[in-house]
Amino acid sequence: MKLKDRVAIVTGAARGIGRAICLALAEEGAIIVGVDVVASEKSEALVSEIKAMGGTAEAYQADVRDFEAIEKMAQHVIAKYNRLDILVNNAGVNRDALILMMTPEQWREVIEINLYGAFHCTKAVAQQMMFQKSGRIINISSIAGQTPGRGHANYAASKGAVNAFTRAAAVELAPKKVTVNAVAPGVIETEMSAEVMRRAKDLVMEHIPLKRLGRAEDVARMVAYLASDDAAYITGQIFNVDGGFRG
Amino acid sequence: MEEKEIFEKVKDAIVDALGVDDDEVKAESSLFDDLGAESLDLLDIVFRLEKTFGIKIPRGAIQLDILAAEGVKESDVLVDGAVTELGAKLLREHMSEVKPEKIKAGFRLDDIPTLFTVQTFVKMVKAQLAAK
Repeated sequence: MKLKDRVAIVTGAARGIGRAICLALAEEGAIIVGVDVVASEKSEALVSEIKAMGGTAEAYQADVRDFEAIEKMAQHVIAKYNRLDILVNNAGVNRDALILMMTPEQWREVIEINLYGAFHCTKAVAQQMMFQKSGRIINISSIAGQTPGRGHANYAASKGAVNAFTRAAAVELAPKKVTVNAVAPGVIETEMSAEVMRRAKDLVMEHIPLKRLGRAEDVARMVAYLASDDAAYITGQIFNVDGGFRG
Repeated sequence: MEEKEIFEKVKDAIVDALGVDDDEVKAESSLFDDLGAESLDLLDIVFRLEKTFGIKIPRGAIQLDILAAEGVKESDVLVDGAVTELGAKLLREHMSEVKPEKIKAGFRLDDIPTLFTVQTFVKMVKAQLAAK
């Protein structure tokens, strides 16, 4: 087990990629704190599944847009486990619309959750990681941050900004041995991508040389690797997990 | 708390934050020049001191003290972010632990952290403990 007793915070944990990340980190022995904006049966089911594997997990309710709530969450984790090793900024939403149709609210909501959320959580854990002189921050970006398609300017902007934030945070935190990387999934089979696939599956497949959609586990394995000691010399990088996607 | 005790705890915080040897840390050691600190290290040290002593050290405390000196206007001590002759004099008095030749007119207020010595932190902690 490569992450035995490491303490990991994963935002947007209950579903999709976040859920797979929690399971992958738990398989490697990490203690999981899954943060979701609403407490749901899915969060509890995830905790039960990890406990059934012999692992340790808890569900915590907080909105990544609310810095005070996130700071409180981080303090809770530090007080309870006495350390904090891994942060996975995974919470994210899309509110697709063509720019001409996009409302400022759609723009704001996506930027606030995807970008402010990553900043809030990073700021909340950085002090503890600095004290420990170790830490892994992994941002879940998207290939949309590099090769955006039509109809998600807000999402693409948020993920492009997350990539830039990743590089900036990596430079700032490197002196304290905290690494910051991003994983940029391509089209992954999740509830979030289901609508796109329903509309344009054939079109999407033309762009994926490996000729299948990604699975949440494909992304989770990359995250588990970046969280491990094996990735100690890697920082400020964006890793595409996209089946070779060509825009 | 005795100054000697404060110094020992400040020293521990600096050793932990910078990974330097215990005997390298003297009251007069300059954080940047002698101990190789970077700007993030100063924050690291401040956070550790706040935790150890249960205090809050205001960011930019020294700048604020200089600007709030009795009987002077901001424009008397500071022009375009740099200290005037009077500002330099006040800063030298305020940071008596720093070699006076390091603070001359034209010194930028934003660069105050580069002057920090171990004793600067001891003084900061003392002031905050007294204010508690």
